[in-house]
Amino acid sequence: MDMSTLMQFNWGSMMPEFIILITAVALSLIDLFMNKKKDRTMLVWIALTGVGLALIFLFLQFDNGVVSILNETYRLDSFAKAFKLLMLIGTGLVLLLGLPAPDELKQVRGEYYYLILTALLGGMMMASSADLITLFVGLELLSLSSYILVGIRKTNHFANEAAFKYLVSGGIATAITLFGMSYLYGLSGETNLYAIQSAMTGDIVADNRFLVVFAFLMIFIGLVFKIAAAPFHMWAPDVYQGAETPITAFLSVVSKTAGFAIILRVLMVPFVFAPGTGKVITPDGMSYESLLVSVRPYIGIIAILTILIGNLIALRQLNAKRLFAYSSIAHAGYLLIPFAALSEMVFEVVWFYLMAYLLMNIGAFAVIHAVTKETEDVTIASFAGMFRRSPFIGIAMTIFLLSLAGIPFTAGFIGKFEIFMSALGTEPKRYFLTGAMLLGTVLSYVYYFGLLVQIYFRPTDKKPITVSGGITAVLTIAATATLVLGIFPSTALTFIQDYFHFMEMFNR
Amino acid sequence: MGYVWLIPVLPLLSFLIILFTRPVIYKKAGIVGTLFSGAAFVGSLIVLFSHFQEGNYLVEANWLSIDAITLTVGFEVNPLNALMLVIVTLVSFLVHMYSIGYMEDDERIATFFAYLGLFTFSMTALVMSPNLLQIYFFWELVGVCSFLLVGFYFYKPEAKAAAKKAFIVTRIGDVGLLVAIFLLYWQAGTLELDGIFSAAESGAITPTMITIIAILIFVGAVGKSGQFPLHTWLPDAMEGPTPVSALIHAATMVAAGVYLVAVMFPLFLASEAAMTTVAITGGVTAIFAATIALVQNDIKRILAYSTISQLGYMMLALGTAGYTAAVFHLTTHAFFKALLFLAAGSVIHAAHEQNILKLGGLGKKLKGTALLFLLGSLALSGFPLFSGFFSKDEILASAFSDERYILFGLALFTAFLTSFYMFRLYFLVFAGEGKGGAKESPRTMLIPMAVLAVLAVFSGFIQTHWFGTFLGDWLETTPYPVIFSSVEAPLWIPILASALSIGGIALAWLMYVKQSVPHNWLYGSIKEVHQVLDRKYYIDEIYQGVFVKGLFVFSYFWSYFDRFIVEGTAAAMRGVVTQLGKTGVKVQSGQVQTYGAVAFSGLVIVLLVIAALGGYFQ
Repeated sequence: MDMSTLMQFNWGSMMPEFIILITAVALSLIDLFMNKKKDRTMLVWIALTGVGLALIFLFLQFDNGVVSILNETYRLDSFAKAFKLLMLIGTGLVLLLGLPAPDELKQVRGEYYYLILTALLGGMMMASSADLITLFVGLELLSLSSYILVGIRKTNHFANEAAFKYLVSGGIATAITLFGMSYLYGLSGETNLYAIQSAMTGDIVADNRFLVVFAFLMIFIGLVFKIAAAPFHMWAPDVYQGAETPITAFLSVVSKTAGFAIILRVLMVPFVFAPGTGKVITPDGMSYESLLVSVRPYIGIIAILTILIGNLIALRQLNAKRLFAYSSIAHAGYLLIPFAALSEMVFEVVWFYLMAYLLMNIGAFAVIHAVTKETEDVTIASFAGMFRRSPFIGIAMTIFLLSLAGIPFTAGFIGKFEIFMSALGTEPKRYFLTGAMLLGTVLSYVYYFGLLVQIYFRPTDKKPITVSGGITAVLTIAATATLVLGIFPSTALTFIQDYFHFMEMFNR
Repeated sequence: MGYVWLIPVLPLLSFLIILFTRPVIYKKAGIVGTLFSGAAFVGSLIVLFSHFQEGNYLVEANWLSIDAITLTVGFEVNPLNALMLVIVTLVSFLVHMYSIGYMEDDERIATFFAYLGLFTFSMTALVMSPNLLQIYFFWELVGVCSFLLVGFYFYKPEAKAAAKKAFIVTRIGDVGLLVAIFLLYWQAGTLELDGIFSAAESGAITPTMITIIAILIFVGAVGKSGQFPLHTWLPDAMEGPTPVSALIHAATMVAAGVYLVAVMFPLFLASEAAMTTVAITGGVTAIFAATIALVQNDIKRILAYSTISQLGYMMLALGTAGYTAAVFHLTTHAFFKALLFLAAGSVIHAAHEQNILKLGGLGKKLKGTALLFLLGSLALSGFPLFSGFFSKDEILASAFSDERYILFGLALFTAFLTSFYMFRLYFLVFAGEGKGGAKESPRTMLIPMAVLAVLAVFSGFIQTHWFGTFLGDWLETTPYPVIFSSVEAPLWIPILASALSIGGIALAWLMYVKQSVPHNWLYGSIKEVHQVLDRKYYIDEIYQGVFVKGLFVFSYFWSYFDRFIVEGTAAAMRGVVTQLGKTGVKVQSGQVQTYGAVAFSGLVIVLLVIAALGGYFQ
């Protein structure tokens, strides 16, 4: 590849990534050369500006068709744009959440912000790669940045423990994913997802059908680590508890979105034409059913287990952050349902739910952040009398909790309703999946409404809560958007239809 | 008319403002609420007049579409709901104003006005809904408001019980409505009214299915409008504050059942069986409730039974294809019954007594109230040229021309009973010698009553066969396929009805003023009849017997079933959930080795299972 080929690439398509990269590098340099005693709030604003610029450039790309550069390793299609949009919005809100209150200016650390940006960069690469190698690099960039972010409070015992557990669990997951990918490479001789896709119809694969199935399942189970689904969910409560609340929000939202991006991309594109285990009778005689059909029950079981584990254990949690860790496990289970059901609308449904989940979950973590900041008390009892302490936070939290529980007129309801209807719209109808979802939703009422009881009916003698401007902004944005998406869902749904043509993901 | 959505928004704003500033505005809540509901009334008038010029209006937008499922939201203005908007906002406005005086001494006055705002919002939004989904949503919301307001004096055990009863009994009807909505969606594939009617017309829904759906919808209306046999909640709902009784349990919410049947009228027209059900239920309820009202002694309960009876009239009209008659009577009834309740509230406010046997001679002390109550009573009794006379006449004509002569006879007799019990009430309270002191109510209470009195007297002239059938002609511009049967009553019907009405008044006069007919002739001559009426046909007892005691017969069976199977299952479920949760917590040991082990075992199990099931080992 000489210089002229390099110059011919449509580098503009990577503009959002470049902006994030430049901002991260700039932040690290400024942090390095800045007087140690100086106020570092400026860094947050730079980071926010970077995210804002990246969002603007992402919007400018919306009308473009599919662009593929760097020998098809980087690919900008609707799928990539849709997931990058989620990640950028999520990161923006997390940065706002991390905006220091006037009394904590001294504690601001520069690495906190540029590590969030590098993690975001990793996530964006995961959404936009069409090659196993770049996908993996993106995955590791996100993971390594997250490990450090979790342990950034060096003197905190919980943070250290959490970072260690996160690192070890992450290592195991990565090993499993890589092992699965090695099968894929071995069978096809390719790392490009589309090259693998065409190799899947060949003879070698037909003779080694089981290795393909194993490869699929290993990659899948390795990757569910990122979305905290069973059986790779157990790190989540410890890590969520140990990390600082904005970082927890980042892990539960942005990192999870990136996880879904890579799962959908790396499992749908190469395997879409691969043969599965069961035989079907076609007009031309016997052939093998699609692999995606064969593995459906296993994904379904993992989804159901995730829903049940998340909701059942959440019932017994007294620590608010652990409770939300389990709740976020349960939501990962709901999000796996469209994938397990293989409905036509899988991308639209997952995207909308992730959007709703992003808003309500970051909102809820913003409330936790506000409540626990002064006292370090993160038990659910610390929510007692919150409505009296601060009606604004109380009402905002009510909106988030109702949305998480899936009550009508919130974004969460529309998201659940879509998952539900799309799983019933397939042939055959997925009664088990929807049943598990209903059961999980009913169980979740217990702990979400338990929090509401604390907020409205439990007495407290604590002072009113004062919150920083950043938290107020996050709460306002998230609560408004949750209601808007719940009352006028068609705004988002038509937006998806107009700008995102997810099916173009399958064509080279 | 693009701003018609403002009408429900105004009372909603009033609700929100009062709710959030409750401690600050406290007694000024009444003024805030009155202003907002007044603005909503002005808006409704504007909508009414622009409907005269611009005709029907409908806005819809897709709310949610997933695959082939599309749900819409919107609002519409057609003659029926433009009229309903005016009635609801007018009565609401007047009741707001009245309550400033009536609720003056209540500590929770701000909460009261907040609830009134929420109710007005729900009710106006209900009548503007162009699809069943919205109708159902607001239908439930008005039910919730009714629950909150009936139980407003929640520290009184009767009020608490009444609120619960109102909620549960109407819920029985709502189940019918909900099932009907599901069936309609299944059959017609849409919940929009025009879509449903065109599906019914094109034969996409079988006649049997139409009958089933129409009757289920009617079950919902029976619950809401307190028709036999789901009427028992309405008299008990009188435990709520009197302005609430006037607004919700006389003029608006209880009429929602009639409104619902009127909205779905094209569906009912397609089914003879459904029409007969509606007609018979209405006719039976009318006379049944009127007879109970004869022997009640609580001023509000008499009016409550009268409301049930009058709603029965409206249902009878609908069942005999008298769409115009039903809507007409709904309108006039809203005015005179709200007036009567407000006047009764004025009496209660002044005398602190609800038992009419303990009241008397108030006519001298409460001159204004007495006059207004008299006008309301005359209107309700169908005294010639008062509004009730014309609307009742329309209903009688409708029943007669539909050849339902038995129901027609019952309705005629009911007219006689109505004027008798109303004037029994009037004479006992206002005539004779005074018993105890009373002070006339403040002007904020009298003015709303005066406005209603004017309407109660004159609103009949919007639909007469002498001057012009303005209402009927206007209703015919509805966008939906409603068949209007234009019937002119034979002249003898209004004459006979007037005679019966005056006869009832005369009998009451003879009994309670002149006292030439002994008070207790009914009680004395046929003790049993009086007993039956006094116990309200034992309906509550029958429910107690059949549904409560009846279950008691099976109680051994049920209690064992309950103890061992239901509770056992519940306990087992609870146990399983708790145990699973505990196990989960235990597995979550904090040891990262365990986490790795769980992940690995999960992977291995999945791989082994798919290998075994997929045939790898063969």
